[in-house]
Amino acid sequence: MARSKLAKFVISLAVWHLVLLAFRGEVCAATGPILLTEVNSTRAIALDVVTWRRDPFPLVQPIRFGTDERTRIMLFAMGLELLPDEDARAVAADAQDGTGRIYALKVEDVRPVPKFEWMKAITIRLPDEMGEVGDVLVRIYIHGEASNRVRVAIGRVGGGPPDDPGARPNPAPPSPPAPTPTPTPPTYAGPASRADAIRLLEQATWGPTPALIERVQRIGIRAFLEEQFNAPISTYPDLPAVPPTPPQDASPDYIRDNYTLFPLQVRFFQNALNGQDQLRQRVSFALSQIFVVSGVEISQSHAMSPYLQMLQRNAFGNFRQLLRDVTLSPAMGRYLDMVNNDKPDPRRGISPNENYARELLQLFTIGVHRLNPDGTLQLDANGRPIPTYDQETIEELARVFTGWTYAPLPGAPMQKHNPRNFLAPMVPYDSNHDKDAKTLFGNIVLPAGQSAEKDLDDALDIIFNHPNVGPFIAQRLIQHLVTSNPSPAYVRRVAAVFDNNGAGVRGDLRAVVAAILLDPEARGDVKNAPDYGHLREPVRLILNVLRAFNATSDGTGLAEQSAQMGQRLFYAPSVFNYYPPDYQVPGTKLLGPEFGIQTTATTFARINFVNSIVYGRIAPPSNAPPGSTGAQIDLAPWQALADDPQRLINALDDLLLHGTMSPQMRAVITQAVTSIPASQPLQRAQAAVYLVLSSSQYQVQK
Amino acid sequence: MFHSRREFIKRIAHAIGAAAFMEGFHRLGWASAFLQQESNDYRALVSIFLYGGNDGNNTIIPAETAEYQAYASVRGTLAIPQSDLLPITPSSMSLRFGLHPSLRDIHDLWSERRLAVLCNVGTLVEPITRDQYLRGAQRPDSLFSHSDQQAQWQASISDQPSRTGWAGRLADRLGANEQFPILISVAGSSLFATGAQARPLALVPGSSFGLRGFGTSPTERTRLEALRQLLRVDTEMELVRKASELTEQAIANSQLLNQALSNAAPLQTQFPSTSLGRQLQQVAKIIAARGSLGARRQIFFCSLGGFDTHNNQLPTQASLLTQLGQAMRAFYAATVELGVATSVTTFTLSDFGRTFKPAAGGGTDHAWGSHHFIMGGAVRGGDFYGRYPTLAIGGPDDASNEGRWIPNVAVDQYGATLALWFGLPTSELTSVFPNIGRFSTPNLGFL
Repeated sequence: MARSKLAKFVISLAVWHLVLLAFRGEVCAATGPILLTEVNSTRAIALDVVTWRRDPFPLVQPIRFGTDERTRIMLFAMGLELLPDEDARAVAADAQDGTGRIYALKVEDVRPVPKFEWMKAITIRLPDEMGEVGDVLVRIYIHGEASNRVRVAIGRVGGGPPDDPGARPNPAPPSPPAPTPTPTPPTYAGPASRADAIRLLEQATWGPTPALIERVQRIGIRAFLEEQFNAPISTYPDLPAVPPTPPQDASPDYIRDNYTLFPLQVRFFQNALNGQDQLRQRVSFALSQIFVVSGVEISQSHAMSPYLQMLQRNAFGNFRQLLRDVTLSPAMGRYLDMVNNDKPDPRRGISPNENYARELLQLFTIGVHRLNPDGTLQLDANGRPIPTYDQETIEELARVFTGWTYAPLPGAPMQKHNPRNFLAPMVPYDSNHDKDAKTLFGNIVLPAGQSAEKDLDDALDIIFNHPNVGPFIAQRLIQHLVTSNPSPAYVRRVAAVFDNNGAGVRGDLRAVVAAILLDPEARGDVKNAPDYGHLREPVRLILNVLRAFNATSDGTGLAEQSAQMGQRLFYAPSVFNYYPPDYQVPGTKLLGPEFGIQTTATTFARINFVNSIVYGRIAPPSNAPPGSTGAQIDLAPWQALADDPQRLINALDDLLLHGTMSPQMRAVITQAVTSIPASQPLQRAQAAVYLVLSSSQYQVQK
Repeated sequence: MFHSRREFIKRIAHAIGAAAFMEGFHRLGWASAFLQQESNDYRALVSIFLYGGNDGNNTIIPAETAEYQAYASVRGTLAIPQSDLLPITPSSMSLRFGLHPSLRDIHDLWSERRLAVLCNVGTLVEPITRDQYLRGAQRPDSLFSHSDQQAQWQASISDQPSRTGWAGRLADRLGANEQFPILISVAGSSLFATGAQARPLALVPGSSFGLRGFGTSPTERTRLEALRQLLRVDTEMELVRKASELTEQAIANSQLLNQALSNAAPLQTQFPSTSLGRQLQQVAKIIAARGSLGARRQIFFCSLGGFDTHNNQLPTQASLLTQLGQAMRAFYAATVELGVATSVTTFTLSDFGRTFKPAAGGGTDHAWGSHHFIMGGAVRGGDFYGRYPTLAIGGPDDASNEGRWIPNVAVDQYGATLALWFGLPTSELTSVFPNIGRFSTPNLGFL
């Protein structure tokens, strides 16, 4: 509180400094916030919050005002609008010193300057690991949008990095700008900008196509989502049950179609390329990577198909129903050993199987540590994370999930362990259910004598209502659809919708998906915050490329490409998915789940896929049915632009990078394209398309 | 060690006449093996991560009658028949044990003392007894969780999350001046092989490693140059920069590696055509090319998945251990062929052991300490290290009443022993194993 009073005090006195220092000149147009500078340089208007001195700033203060003696500095910004539920935590900042080292800065306070409400004063703590490094370049970012970088001297003036290309002074304007509209979340009801329409299609579909871009621009984002919520559901085939092992005389084709997931992989790509329910498919694919059932064990297509169908059905439904359907799915039952899980048998010394109980908690619903509503870790008095459950809860929950078996085959008698049946949900066999009381999370008791079904529903209710579920699921779905490092404020907004969709309903996934895609951190034309975006996972890279270039494909050959990139579709190596949601990109503080499968080998596979599709085609695998075509893209429209390299590159920039190609990137590609004679328009188009698609600027989608 | 070897050769040569000695030396075919090691001072660590948590209780089994019966009475239908055990007697003990019968391919390596067993090793914050555990003493974070325990095994840090693995940190210390990355993964990415600076070169066994579509035509060369230039712009977006760095690392090393691999003499040793067989074959090929790569130190990461045997354990584990034993045996033979048997040490890691008490479905659940193999010419084989636990439900080594063994040796000590052999100076031990000082000794003596 002392700091907040202090801030007010300093601000009121500091305003005169500002008026004298900075009120002149023009402000350049940008989408993100603008940090104010001196009139003739990129040096920030910055004040020590204790002494109100300008830089160079000492690292520590002789007088201790806060919880520590580290110096706080104040910067001033325009165009920084917090949403009603946001505070300083929504704003991030960093600084780079002359050696290139980047420091994360803690933003402690953001508030309007009295009488200059359009201007915000931002209080930043200098980081512990920073020395007297001289000049640093500081920027702030919010909702994925970064400010200009301004110069601040630490310890001494000079010795910093050069200004960013194109950087210019940003002094405060001579007259106050028009008052900014009340910062309520926009509704996205009207027509959409082209760049934001393209960005939405990257997030909500398997990739923008010219027709969809035009449609979203015209009807707007909200209306497009409404259309998507109601689009007809793409399906997976109903396949007949086959015995556990193939008959002796089974042909290779019969094995491929029944004992591998080949037909489901092909259908997945067909659905993604042609289906209208693009958003549903994106969400159900994300769910398939949270509630993982892997073809490594469930390799019969007839067993996996109903599971994928179930995820499609529940993608916009309620999470509680999804939990029940997942729990009783025979594919999941077999994958994580809940099917035929026997009650304890003291005589034989056998305990109930813990597999499903553990992964349900750890991976599907609440995770191993208690979360704040914004997804950050709760910490105990010693600063350590707090476990959500202990081994005892796992053992108790394992007893809850006893007494379930496959549904009896038509006409067959009900048994304790029915033979395999993947075509109907599992059923209870009560005499194999542990009817003793169970205690979950240390103090929630399921009384003795309950049926298998009652115990299961009670336990799922308890888990479903755990406060971790909202932030846990919000974080994962945001990572799959929008960005790997959502701000805590973004997670909190989405988790709040999970907790209550506005009509008092918890777990409404349709509302959650809408909240994710309509959030200001998802929307906007340009997201240039340094931590924004996510690496396109392999299947998405493939589909994005095919859809952007109007591909002809029968869905074959693509799963093989994706596998080489580290994502063998529907065959995750384990229940931990193809990559972990908390994978930390080495050498950074950032999460990047998809980087978990990005290696020197798979980065080659990705670029070599681009090579194949641009300079040739993707061939069907050798065991594909006769007449399979593989995939081929259509470069004719691009070839037609090739006599004017700038037009060609502009069009690619628009479709693939929503207009964010940097001048440096443009210069490199222009040079490569113009080195090919205009008399070879196809080669020019191929080179341009190859270079954009293989670039990290495209591979990491923003 | 190499000093004394050099001295040994010199002294003998002096004693019997240098020329005569060297001639005999060469004729016996020892020369290349012996001298190459000398001149190159080459050492390699080859890790095999058994993903899912291998059941150590059915990997190393007591064979004395009383102990076997105690084992069989708890294991029930999961017990391996006593007559199927492959007999092993640790040289420092008078008790008989048995290897799982599917490990027959490495059984003779035990007799030849090229194979050692580290008993009941696992993640630890500090040494802990059953009493301390039951009273709530600090234990590794998220015990029994696959992802967390894999990470802690690979990091050798169990009381907080780590961004680096121990092999990565070892490479930070010893590999910084190498022209070619000393970390090489043939099994995708891993925390194990991630350092603060060091990054592994990952390749897919048997696949070509490099960019396709670039020949010698000027336009292709221009395009390749443009691709590489693009990797150096727009670096202020962190994820873009990291993706670009990885691609640049791949391109920069692929040419050198491909050339070195094609220059190396083909391997004669046959490998099984299994996933692990192909990985270890690839490792052997890279070791064969170590001269052209200028490599003096290498750390390899391999893996085999499927050990999470909650159900149907008997056939599943048997098949996996067969694959493990066959691939290890072939790899050892390849190191002999290449004359580097004493310079290459191979070892296993895994998420955790499994409950001694069976679970419904014919399997076992997640547990804690387990037994691991160390193989190579430098290994003091034919013996147990660490202490084999008391196989009793609720006994002195049980963390629960399901047979979850509390490790008596830490992953930190296991790694430190390997790292010291690899050449990490004792003075730098804590920079790679920050918690090593909490344990009685950093060197378990198996090397």
